[in-house]
Amino acid sequence: MVERRGAGGAPPTSAVAMRGITKRFPGVLANDHVDFEAAAGEVHALLGENGAGKSTLSNILTGLYRPDEGEICVYGDRVEFHSPRDALDAGIGMVHQHFRLVEPFTVAENVVLGDNSGEGRRFRLRRRAIERQVADISARYGLHVDPRARIWQLSVGEQQRVEILKALYREARILILDEPTAVLTPQEADVLFRTLREMAAEGRTVIFISHKLHEVKAVADSVTVLRGGRSVATVSTAEATPRSLAALMVGREVSTTERVEHERAAGETVLEVDAITVQGERGPAVRDASLTVCAGEIVAIAGVAGNGQRELAEAIAGIRCPAEGCVRMRGRAVRAGDPRAAITAGVAYVPEDRLGTGLAPSLSIAANLALKAYREPVASRGPLLRLRRMREHAVELIERYRIAAPGPAAQARQLSGGNLQKVVLAREFSGKPQLLVAAAPTRGLDVGAIETVHAYLRDAAAEGMGVLLISEDLDEILALADRIAVMYEGRIVGEFAGATADVEEIGLAMAGGQHPR
Amino acid sequence: MNNSLAVVVLASGVVYGTPLLFGALGELLAERSGVLNLGVEGMMLVGAVMGFWTVQRLHAGTGLSLAAAVGVAAVAGAAMAAIHAFLVVTLRASQIVSGLALTIFAGAAGLSSYLGNDLNLADNPAAHQFNPVFPASMQNWPIVGPIVFGQNVLVYASWLCVVLVALYLTRTRLGLNVRAVGESPAAADAMGINVARYRYAHTLVGGAFAGVAGATFTLAITPQWVSGITGGAGWIAIALVIFAFWRPELCLVGAYFFGALQALAPELQARNIQLGPTILWSNALPYVMTIVVLVFVSASGARRRLGAPAALGVPYVREER
Amino acid sequence: MLATPTVGGPAFHPRGRFQIERRLRQPRWLTVAVPAGSLVFAFFASGIVLLATGHDPLSGYRQLVDAAFVNTGAIGQTLVSATPLAFTGLAAAAAFRMRLFNIGGEGQLYMGAITAAAAGLYFGGSGGPSAFAITAMVVGGCAGGAAWALIPGLLRAFFKTNEIITSLMLNYVAGYVLTYLVFNTESYWRQTTGFNASVFPTSKQLPPSADWPAAVIHVQGGIALPLGAGLALLAAAVLWVLYRRTRFGFEVQVLGDSPRAAQYAGMRTRRKILAVMGISGALAGLGGASQVGDFSHSLDADPNGLQKQYYGYAGIVVAALGRYNPFAVVLVAFLIGGLQNAGNTLQGADFPSGLVGVIQGLILFSALGGELLVRYRVRFARRPEVVAVEPA
Repeated sequence: MVERRGAGGAPPTSAVAMRGITKRFPGVLANDHVDFEAAAGEVHALLGENGAGKSTLSNILTGLYRPDEGEICVYGDRVEFHSPRDALDAGIGMVHQHFRLVEPFTVAENVVLGDNSGEGRRFRLRRRAIERQVADISARYGLHVDPRARIWQLSVGEQQRVEILKALYREARILILDEPTAVLTPQEADVLFRTLREMAAEGRTVIFISHKLHEVKAVADSVTVLRGGRSVATVSTAEATPRSLAALMVGREVSTTERVEHERAAGETVLEVDAITVQGERGPAVRDASLTVCAGEIVAIAGVAGNGQRELAEAIAGIRCPAEGCVRMRGRAVRAGDPRAAITAGVAYVPEDRLGTGLAPSLSIAANLALKAYREPVASRGPLLRLRRMREHAVELIERYRIAAPGPAAQARQLSGGNLQKVVLAREFSGKPQLLVAAAPTRGLDVGAIETVHAYLRDAAAEGMGVLLISEDLDEILALADRIAVMYEGRIVGEFAGATADVEEIGLAMAGGQHPR
Repeated sequence: MNNSLAVVVLASGVVYGTPLLFGALGELLAERSGVLNLGVEGMMLVGAVMGFWTVQRLHAGTGLSLAAAVGVAAVAGAAMAAIHAFLVVTLRASQIVSGLALTIFAGAAGLSSYLGNDLNLADNPAAHQFNPVFPASMQNWPIVGPIVFGQNVLVYASWLCVVLVALYLTRTRLGLNVRAVGESPAAADAMGINVARYRYAHTLVGGAFAGVAGATFTLAITPQWVSGITGGAGWIAIALVIFAFWRPELCLVGAYFFGALQALAPELQARNIQLGPTILWSNALPYVMTIVVLVFVSASGARRRLGAPAALGVPYVREER
Repeated sequence: MLATPTVGGPAFHPRGRFQIERRLRQPRWLTVAVPAGSLVFAFFASGIVLLATGHDPLSGYRQLVDAAFVNTGAIGQTLVSATPLAFTGLAAAAAFRMRLFNIGGEGQLYMGAITAAAAGLYFGGSGGPSAFAITAMVVGGCAGGAAWALIPGLLRAFFKTNEIITSLMLNYVAGYVLTYLVFNTESYWRQTTGFNASVFPTSKQLPPSADWPAAVIHVQGGIALPLGAGLALLAAAVLWVLYRRTRFGFEVQVLGDSPRAAQYAGMRTRRKILAVMGISGALAGLGGASQVGDFSHSLDADPNGLQKQYYGYAGIVVAALGRYNPFAVVLVAFLIGGLQNAGNTLQGADFPSGLVGVIQGLILFSALGGELLVRYRVRFARRPEVVAVEPA
């Protein structure tokens, strides 16, 4: 538990005050008259589900978006941000969830980029001076990184440190972090929290955006809860409990996802991953990993994102070719690196990148539903497409899976996140696969959609499919999985039974504590 | 010795290579900011015709006329580039189609010919032209004489430009910013850099360089106006930027290499050296080599270190949802 | 390497009073109204250019329309320009639909001309038009163009090399090859007998049985519809069916929209790239065959002849204006062909040379700008009631 220090008795100065902020996008009201206030010297969390409007609000505060209505005050003065430049000048720094770093540049170059004061103001760049300054700051805050390294050479955790250094270099008084622990192990997250508390103690304001209740309790002084684009409550974390916060987030009393025990015995082996090694962008991503999934069981792979899960899933789906080892479906080896072979062998893949990989955004829903089946009689006869049949099939699936869409001819990109996922799942299920690989299937979905997806996964297992669930959400894994495997740095470093798993142990394995040596 | 094939070809290579170099430097700057401008040929021609017109109409001394002509050519090129910049940066149009449209609009069957005819510029030689700077005695020195000292001031200016552009990109704050804009406009934007402004600025400067490149033709190389006088130099300049891995120093090397190849064929003919398909090869070689370089860069995964600015050709939108 | 230009996202730099946001649905009428509107705007703008340089736009335009469509024999002449543009336009449309930016239509047309001329010379004889010789020319033209397009296609499929620059570079190589075959070497295509042959390089005339017939439509004194024009219409129909109604077309659509989704779905990306480049090149090559068979009856290798017509590049413009729909492309080719024809016929005081390029350029510019209106909606946002104050 991280220590907390009070503000010293004096009433807190308001550092940031946002009143009545409203922001509309085509088809969605992202922020609806939101009020938000954070004081100097505190860590203030912004809590809400995915889609509640947290990122939009922070983007407005950093000048990336302009609000349709409402006002912003910084240290009591009203401000209007026309661009990120104005926000930066006002002392606001942001660490984005998806890093805004220039890959071929060095750490020092990224830190000084766009700086209008100090070293960056000079016409001529003085490399050594900049590198020295960056090294100083990084030492002072314990954010160790080599100023001369190029971004593409760094690990994800190190890249995040660069993002934080950027803000510190500019002496940001107000620091916003957007879901920073998504790429950190539990232990690294603790280090981050300690750093954030130090910054708050210096008088800075830290705004911490998250959807994870235990983090909010651990690091924040107060928390504002957003739900459906509105600000619902602002409470001090000392007085709140995870349950009360969850209730505010969702609008009703909800129990954390519960495990449903079932009487299903695992059937025969469906998937066998045999000692595969898969290359990623920066060297081997999966090393000598072996895994089995049986019919009717849900096997989950736990781990922080970036430890090879995506490459493993892609190798099973045939999108990536393993450098060594092989993948077998029902005992027969599947031709490597060939998605069509995997599909024919009965592998269904729900990718984490729905709109980028799983769907063709500009094409109609009907086309997307036929994305893999267009060669089947349901969609074509010989070389010609049967457009009417495709449309009928789409209407059928839309009804059965209750996809909220204007019609089968609507473009896929018009759908909301939850409905996009339903389209993907509908398509994959209707192919009657043997194995369903689901990568981060509930990311970015609201609670209702999450429940639906979980129901689908359980149904799939009940119908005899093998399910391989890859997720960062331990709660989800604990609720669903029969067996849990942990991936760390490309290896399977632990296997646990779902019913009796211990969170501590799993967390340790995720951080490499059980690394076999 | 100064009449040997090698020396003559190299000296001519510098001459023919100078407009290529100017054009490539300009396109390099635009591409570094993420804007692909295929309209270089058109911009060159407009610069050529406007520069020529200035020199014919302006009644002033040689120095002043030529200086003014170069200035007008630069402005004309930039004006053409402004159309492209507006379409692709502000209106987010396809950069390829816009660049091609610019070539058609301003090129050999377009505005440049229109102006050339309307202003009655054909058939007369230039009233003033760029002549070699150094005295004849220096020009006769072995080897370096014709190649280095036999050139006009535009050539020397191009050398200076190479140095300036190189220093700009690597040693200055603005250069860092523009490279960021070309690699990752999202990162640059988040750091408070005005992406649109940098793209506009560099595209316009690119147009100015192209205009000067065109003026090189009508004021130095063949000091007269003929429709389409640049003969495809604009396209070679585009290829040259890739061939040079987006580096100014290599643009210089490449420009003279391509220029020398262009000079080779007529020289061989003048000396009655028949080498059959050599003509075909020397003409086609620059283009084939560019393809080879491109394949090498994309296949070898040296992309990160040697490749194009990552955001080249993609319009930047801030509020993408 | 060079990222393919994408359709942009919602908003504008909201510095001004108006915001631009992406439309969710694209109303049908807009997709016709906007190109038509941009045409009007372009003529208006060129009118201003004419006025500014002391010409009379109205008389100029009237002459233009007359020379393009109204005068006796005008439509026939227009078809001479329009036919190659239809082929290169279809070639560009076929490739661009899949986000394959084949800029090499120019060179593929030359190559098609070379191979078609060879086929005509070899298989032709005396007598009336021979179906065999003509078919050989069609096949030869398609093959030559397709082969030339497969070079950037293979490089793209196997090395991920960007096809824009490779196809562009090959245009120049093709041009040099074309000139070389007749002007620099004693090749099959070159006339080696006869008085002129030794004085000035000329290409062989094709035998009469390799002349492509033309259908005569008895209107306005008889319009000759070249075989090539008919083939272009047929090609447009085939292309439309192929892309809209077949599995092949479905895969092309998916690949054009999201290469990652296509790979994920098990579609064979490489094969598609090669196939589409091949089709595109074949269409351009067929345009080259039509040049030889319909119009020049020999291989036009003169650097100031076919190579100065820039049919390939103009074809890209035509395809863009037709929004890559095969039938629209043919229609636009006809209109632009009229413009080219008028430009050629009317060179003179009232109709300065270069005007054609200016008008074409302006049409394209306004069409590009008009695209914005089809895809996005311009909205006037309520300005927040705040007066900007210096930030703390």
